[in-house]
Amino acid sequence: MSKEKKQVTVGRIADFPVGKCTVVEIDGREIGIARLKNGEYRAVRNHCPHKGAPVCKGFISGTMVPGAVGELVYGRDGEILVCPWHGYEFDLATGAVIYQESSEKLLMYPVEIRNGEVVVTV
Amino acid sequence: MDIPEKPQTSRDAALKVIDCDVHPYVKDGIKSVFPYMPEAWKQRFIRKNAHVSSHARPLKYEHPNGNVNRVDARPPCGGISGSDPHYLVKDLLDQNKIQHAVLNCLQTGSLCSTLSGTDESVVLCSAFNDFLVDQWLTVDNRLKFAMSVPSQDPQASAAEIRRLGKHPQIVAVSLPLLNILMGNRYWWPIYAAAQEMDLPILVHVTGPDSIFYGPPISAGGIPDSYVERYVTLCQAGESSVNSLVFSGVFEKFPRLKVIFVEYGFLWLLPLLWRMDRTWRQLRHEVPWVKKSPVEYVHKHIRFSTQPIDEPREPKDLDKLIELMGYDQLCFSTDYPHWDNDMPGQSLRGLPKAEREKIFWDNAYSTFRMR
Repeated sequence: MSKEKKQVTVGRIADFPVGKCTVVEIDGREIGIARLKNGEYRAVRNHCPHKGAPVCKGFISGTMVPGAVGELVYGRDGEILVCPWHGYEFDLATGAVIYQESSEKLLMYPVEIRNGEVVVTV
Repeated sequence: MDIPEKPQTSRDAALKVIDCDVHPYVKDGIKSVFPYMPEAWKQRFIRKNAHVSSHARPLKYEHPNGNVNRVDARPPCGGISGSDPHYLVKDLLDQNKIQHAVLNCLQTGSLCSTLSGTDESVVLCSAFNDFLVDQWLTVDNRLKFAMSVPSQDPQASAAEIRRLGKHPQIVAVSLPLLNILMGNRYWWPIYAAAQEMDLPILVHVTGPDSIFYGPPISAGGIPDSYVERYVTLCQAGESSVNSLVFSGVFEKFPRLKVIFVEYGFLWLLPLLWRMDRTWRQLRHEVPWVKKSPVEYVHKHIRFSTQPIDEPREPKDLDKLIELMGYDQLCFSTDYPHWDNDMPGQSLRGLPKAEREKIFWDNAYSTFRMR
């Protein structure tokens, strides 16, 4: 297993719609590029740590934050990635499963914008 | 740690797999099966717009994420997940090295158990069965079929089994349950026909369960949300195992086999302990039950694995399966539904020989494999 890191340009900003997780391939690995509403980007391995689903083919959403009985409070809009299989909700800031104790985390890569291009470090 | 890029693929290349629960979706529903029914019935369904009705669930039972199907399993040519047999073969069987997949059509099941009238269900059941034999089983020999029966009419159900049951890719009879326990004599004509054709009875939630009057209803009342309903759907399985044994079905039909699909299985062990204890105490009330209920269940009944429960300590699951015995379980994915389990990620903590029983042997000896 190589420890060498490299930077890969995966496309231009316009290639990645806001609020979507667009899957690209780097060295045979599927990585989802999530362009968030707040202007930030995330690069996520397309592999759900729960059961191996292609998690990036789910959807980006907010969620109902824990609250009082019978009361719904919607929050964290655009910050949550929902797996298309079992519905696990992941925090796109940290990769962690939200609102429950779990050691399962998304595998995330550093991503930055350079001259209008999206660059992932893998 | 490196993560395999194709996680759906079993890492155990030698493992042979029978998938006991795959759901084909007939793309245009009733309209698709018009060529497989008498003209008068086609005209009746057109006139009442049955071919465009949605058969939707009530709002409170719609899936919280908006879809019971995996959106990533939609065929590239369009349509609902599970509606293209060619894509299903590629996406499920090829990708996961599955040798046999047992198709069970829930559209037929829900129409037969609840959503259509008795006469309608008899016609629709045959039409859907014939459509799937014609349009799906011809695509790939790995596709096997649990043919449905119009369970509101046991005599018609038995006739349907005898009409179609000889097809070499038909391996089971999918029985849409009603709110009549499975030991009841109402069902016996169906069991007689299934036994005669050497086909096991497969039972699976059909969709309207715990929603409408007609199919089984969860104990204690009607649940209030998708989550509540999902968790308690297994209760009908528990009641039916109990009913089958104590009403003497397996004495009356000694070659009959039953497989409970998607009802879970971790409830079985305490159920059997209670059935066994009660039988030892009060056997004389049901003197046709000549041996321990545990023996009948091990001989005649199997359970599919999905949805596999996930205790925080995975070894707890392995231990419970060991206590149950490895002869009871048959692997299933439930593709293309949201809560599916794929072989590569399932029951990996079990010893190799026991895993082989669950993924292959138990199903092979339960279904009518030729």
